[in-house]
Amino acid sequence: MKVDVKSLDTFNQLAHEGAQEATRSMAQMTGIDAAVDVTRISLIDRADVGEELGSGEFVGVQFGFEGALSGETVLIFEDDQTTEIVEALMPGASDDENMAQSAIQEIGNIMMSGFIDGWAEHLEARIDHTPPGYIEGTSEAILPDDPDVGDHDEVFVFRSEIQWEGESVTFFIYMLPEYEPMAQLMSEYAETGEDAIPIEKLAVFNKMTRQGTEKAAENVQQMSGIETEAEVSQISFVPIEDVPKQFDEKLYVGTVVEFTGVPSGFLLVLFDEASAVTVAEALMPVEMESEGLTEQHKMAIEELGNIMTSGFVDGWANVLQQTVEHTPPTVVHDMGQSIIDPLAAQLGQFQRHAFVIDSQMKTDEVAFQSEIHALPNEQELREALETLDVDRADQTEADHIF
Amino acid sequence: MAEVLIADDSEFMRNLLREILEENHTIVGEVENGVEAVEVFKEQQPDLVMMDIVMPIRDGIEATDEIKNTDPSANVIMCTSVGQEEKMKEAVKAGADGYITKPFQKPSVMEAIQDVVPS
Repeated sequence: MKVDVKSLDTFNQLAHEGAQEATRSMAQMTGIDAAVDVTRISLIDRADVGEELGSGEFVGVQFGFEGALSGETVLIFEDDQTTEIVEALMPGASDDENMAQSAIQEIGNIMMSGFIDGWAEHLEARIDHTPPGYIEGTSEAILPDDPDVGDHDEVFVFRSEIQWEGESVTFFIYMLPEYEPMAQLMSEYAETGEDAIPIEKLAVFNKMTRQGTEKAAENVQQMSGIETEAEVSQISFVPIEDVPKQFDEKLYVGTVVEFTGVPSGFLLVLFDEASAVTVAEALMPVEMESEGLTEQHKMAIEELGNIMTSGFVDGWANVLQQTVEHTPPTVVHDMGQSIIDPLAAQLGQFQRHAFVIDSQMKTDEVAFQSEIHALPNEQELREALETLDVDRADQTEADHIF
Repeated sequence: MAEVLIADDSEFMRNLLREILEENHTIVGEVENGVEAVEVFKEQQPDLVMMDIVMPIRDGIEATDEIKNTDPSANVIMCTSVGQEEKMKEAVKAGADGYITKPFQKPSVMEAIQDVVPS
């Protein structure tokens, strides 16, 4: 089965419109303006779904759906936003726990019916859904169990964020369809032109990304002694103008390199400020006297970013039997969106959509978290996948030459 | 004591290599790019060059190629974060005598040097 940019775009658009429909329904009920911030389709390892939710407590509603598509979908938000949402719906109801729960169930029902109906309408098919079930839980545990993915290790996840205007209330919609019907449907929408990509090659590429992340985590551990684990690897498809929205407004320190070859693009290794200080100090042979981030810290981050970048892309190069060159790293210290914005703009001259490759690593030992984001040229990534020999997928290490 | 030239654009990495090497070797120079590496090699004629690959202005493989053309008996160990097979083949073609992948520990550096410049 193959997908192409057109089919991915269609389904991304479909999920986005579904989220917009859900937003309209909510605005009608509450009078509160909201906007769909981000929608993306990701192919992600089953175990990694929802890692981005962090450690917060969430509440929401869950539906099962079946028909043209089968699976589960949820609408969730952070527990501490419950009062604000319930009061907007039904002033005074937040003091009554049962009433508050019922209000949440109802807003979820109305929003998600709009979401699912949008899909059914576009597919000109019937999609039935179960009544809404109230859910609560911590971080990714609130998300539905894995959909039926057959022999596959990955799941397709459609994820949208809806933001109340002027408020810090964010709704997250996750839709997890069963693998085979979704893949089948996407392939029906694909034109059999030369830009079609076999879905299994996307999945293999995702595995390579996971191995690259593991290598980068191993490098961090070797250099700093901080025990680090690869947490997430996913490949997502988004319109190019939405790429910066994938990043929050947190301050990051890290490196950016431009890589050339097939594919070319940009690669970012980012640390939040506290993690940057922690890891840089672990790299230094002597204890630092200053507090906060200094030029010495940045120098250490520059080299760590360089080594992590190589660890990450070398696997691609070895599997693809090509060279992926990269420029020396440029140190960045800015908000996530400000870092990615000029890079997305540069790619936007040549493409309307982007495959974004995201990885995350962290450790429980100390406060440390790092992210790697790759933004390859879309056309060249497709060329690379075209030449990818699936049987070589685990050959990420170079043969012993010296 | 072997005389060593360190070529790496990262000051952090030059410091780290210097700390590892200076106990048993003489550091004759530290440079930040391939052009400077060739110049200092010609001036100092060190026993060994520890050469990074990804450097601005001129990369380590081009610099190694020129050093080996100037002096075929020169010893060059690539000391790089790049672990790509194709890149290693390029390094061999340019005449590199050894290859250490970052991040490295002191024993692996000493072992690679011992292989190339036996004491």
